[in-house]
Amino acid sequence: MAVLRLLIRRLFFALPILFGILLLTFLLVRLSGNDPAGVLAGPTATGEDVIRITKQLQLDKPVWQQFIAYVNTLAHGDLGRSWLSDKPVVRELLIRLPATLEMVIGGGILGALIAIPLGLRAALRVNGILDHSSRILSLIGFGAPTIFLGLLLIYVFFYLFGWAPPPMGRLDLLTTAPPTITGSYLIDALLTGNWEAARSAAARLVLPCVCVATVYAAPLIAQTRAVAMDVLASDYARYARACGLPPRDIRRMVWRNTAVPVITYGATELVALFGAAAVLELIFSWGGVSQFGLMAILKGDFAVVQGFTLLMSLIAMAIFAVADIVVMSLDPRARK
Amino acid sequence: MNTALRRAKALILSTPVGAAGLAIVLLYALVALFAPALAPHPPIKAFADSVLAAPDAQFWFGTDGNGMDVFSRILYGARYAFGISIPVLAIGMVCGVPIGLIAGYRGGWVDELALRLMDVLRVFPSIVLALAIVAATGQTLANVVIVIAILDIAVFVRVVRAEVLTLRASGMVDAAINAGNPTWRILLVHLLPNSLRGALAQMPIRMAWAVRVSATLAFIGVGVQVPEPEWGAMIREGSEYVISGEWWVALLPGTALVILVIALSMLGDGLSDLLDPRRAGRAR
Amino acid sequence: MSLLEIDNLHVHFLSRDRLGEPRRARALNGVTFSLDRGEIIGLVGETGAGKSLTAQSVMGMLRPPAHRIAGTITFDGRDLATLPDAEMNAMRGSRIGMVVQSPMTSLDPTARIGAQLVRIQQAHGKIPRQQAEERAIAMLREVGIPDAPRRFAAWPHELSGGMAQRVLIAMALINDPVLLIADEPTTGLDVTVQAQILELLKREMTARGLATLLITHDLGIVAQYCDRVAAMFAGTIVEEGSVADVFAAPRHPYTARLIASAPDRVDLSSRAQFAGAPPDLTALPEGCVYRDRCPRAQSACAIPPPKADFGNGHAAFCHFPEPA
Repeated sequence: MAVLRLLIRRLFFALPILFGILLLTFLLVRLSGNDPAGVLAGPTATGEDVIRITKQLQLDKPVWQQFIAYVNTLAHGDLGRSWLSDKPVVRELLIRLPATLEMVIGGGILGALIAIPLGLRAALRVNGILDHSSRILSLIGFGAPTIFLGLLLIYVFFYLFGWAPPPMGRLDLLTTAPPTITGSYLIDALLTGNWEAARSAAARLVLPCVCVATVYAAPLIAQTRAVAMDVLASDYARYARACGLPPRDIRRMVWRNTAVPVITYGATELVALFGAAAVLELIFSWGGVSQFGLMAILKGDFAVVQGFTLLMSLIAMAIFAVADIVVMSLDPRARK
Repeated sequence: MNTALRRAKALILSTPVGAAGLAIVLLYALVALFAPALAPHPPIKAFADSVLAAPDAQFWFGTDGNGMDVFSRILYGARYAFGISIPVLAIGMVCGVPIGLIAGYRGGWVDELALRLMDVLRVFPSIVLALAIVAATGQTLANVVIVIAILDIAVFVRVVRAEVLTLRASGMVDAAINAGNPTWRILLVHLLPNSLRGALAQMPIRMAWAVRVSATLAFIGVGVQVPEPEWGAMIREGSEYVISGEWWVALLPGTALVILVIALSMLGDGLSDLLDPRRAGRAR
Repeated sequence: MSLLEIDNLHVHFLSRDRLGEPRRARALNGVTFSLDRGEIIGLVGETGAGKSLTAQSVMGMLRPPAHRIAGTITFDGRDLATLPDAEMNAMRGSRIGMVVQSPMTSLDPTARIGAQLVRIQQAHGKIPRQQAEERAIAMLREVGIPDAPRRFAAWPHELSGGMAQRVLIAMALINDPVLLIADEPTTGLDVTVQAQILELLKREMTARGLATLLITHDLGIVAQYCDRVAAMFAGTIVEEGSVADVFAAPRHPYTARLIASAPDRVDLSSRAQFAGAPPDLTALPEGCVYRDRCPRAQSACAIPPPKADFGNGHAAFCHFPEPA
């Protein structure tokens, strides 16, 4: 019940934010001084071509009319067509979404599984070996930008050791893709019992996921450690010790109370990962939606850019909503 | 003099990590200042007969795909790192701190508006937003600086606002109001110095972030373009050679970047240790 | 032999200042007192006098930078200061119960009241879940919580301050302790609720024959609820004795000043700087710690004051005690 109320409230607040994002990207695109008709028509086009395209895209009308028309088509679930490929934007985005999700969520889970226990342990033993090594790990993870990390891993594990497959796409060249069920090659291959494709997809996932995990784990370790230390210094942790609770009970209590702020924080960082994913996809020729959006931005395909920003916002909101539901299940105070 | 030395030594001992970070950052700053004197070769001179040369006595860090000396280019790259991150920081603080002060002090619709704007920034991967804006407004270095600075403003607003709210809650502000202080005096004398402490501790971290993001943008091909000796652009140029084994072209500028970013965050750690009153005077 | 005997307890805070110079704050300087079974002693003094630190020492909960430098704490014939961690932990919450101030923040916010009461029972002995739950409900009833079975499933944030303090008392008493430490149990509660909580404590202490160390800065509470009183200043007990003796004729200048300044109700928390600045623990005067603030101080006060005994356990540490 409380969950339903929360979702409704979230939606209520989400709509103006979404609208703001739409307006912002729309204005940016239209007022940028770029000439989309010129981009579309290409370098060999004649002036007539440009005028025709301008009319076709209604670019000759005032900006506010264009925006209303855009919102109107959007309300019908239509994001228009890509200016470059002329395919529906919705399809172009959705077809590439699973690749990005596979990488970000896989890496995110890996990162969280490393970061949270490490941060907790570090807080329980401040200045211990684990504390120092987690701080170093956190510094390196924070310092190493994805561009460097990705290339370093490729050099070491593909070129030097030959353990990793080449950083080109999600499957080995000669492997046929499994039939699309979820869109994730690994999951689809496992579902259809195609072990060869599964092995190939898994092997290709390793390096990108390790990159994502490192980028995710670094701030998460620091945050978990800081929150857990606050919890350990709290009145209730003091009182629990005064009650002679065994260390096991205290650890469990610290974890439960640390989880709530860490999950909220982790959700914010998870959203940022979709940005980092764009660069990683570029390096690993991954072909996911983040890379696609990045390319659309660089090439000026603004129908796709708008669809992409919208999709990213929706993903962010979905992540925050899931985080809120998890927080509510853990923290009675959030259920009020 | 003797006491000053002892003070410095104690300061270093109290945060050795921060001191090490500061030393490295200063070293980078010196390199940036004296790059022309330090670099063995001009940064954009192509040695046509030694393309992709491995590190040796003539080219300490090898040469890139155009036959340019990687070492010299890395030295010059420090100028871009500081040249971008310092203005970013300045704009971010000059705009962010007053907004945060007023939002935290006034509350009401000002605060509400600031919060909503930050919400918009929050639901968005910042790099994507930066890219979209830079791509739309034209890919000049100045635009890159302004866009990264805009994202920074939000951070400083949040930090300063949070400080102001805690100060308000502590009753100090109410006492100042009751004592008949005018608003400007409360903002400038009572709130600014205290909340600046939080912003100050954030500075190296934000600088590290700006260095990282600007390099990433250059890597993608936005802002600084390839023949320029900027680390991100150099990594971009070298990325295609990594799979064929010419690692130095991309990984050495990458290492230079990583070390600066890590040093800046170490400095930030040390600074927040020193500036955070809750953590001061702890037993060690 | 008394149940609890604290002898010459010294606790210092050891740290380094920003310049790396070692700092030593002498927080407890030879605290000595004892407590018999069934007796209620009130520990009074201003903030920073070392009351809570004394309690923490008894509980074995000193954390760095606080260090016990010297002294023994004998509880039931055993020296707590040398007890292994595990045994000390087993003692806390079972043989020694504790009630603290700020009850609202002292309960685990993510566990139901009942679960916390069950948890503390299971931490100190094998007890079937059902039996532990029944005892928890009975205990909630005993501390005056209406509708106990329903409150058993309540979350801490759903309780008022007074209710939360009753729950803490239930937590402290559920394992039948022999010693209760109540550290400012009514600070921050409404005046009417304060009285209810104190009545509840007094009733439980009497019914169970509990030895109680009641820490407070409210002299009125001491006068009304305690058998004996010990006044602390700058980490030393300057005077102790039965409540009747001390309140009728305080002998130490500090205690005299405390009691004289407001005969029926002195709340020291509202006068943190009662008669002078709080002492600087890093630079205490030689000899008597009260010297700098004492109106009667003379050069002889530079040597540690002797114990002036007035019979019936009434004693003050002073060179020049007030005449009776």
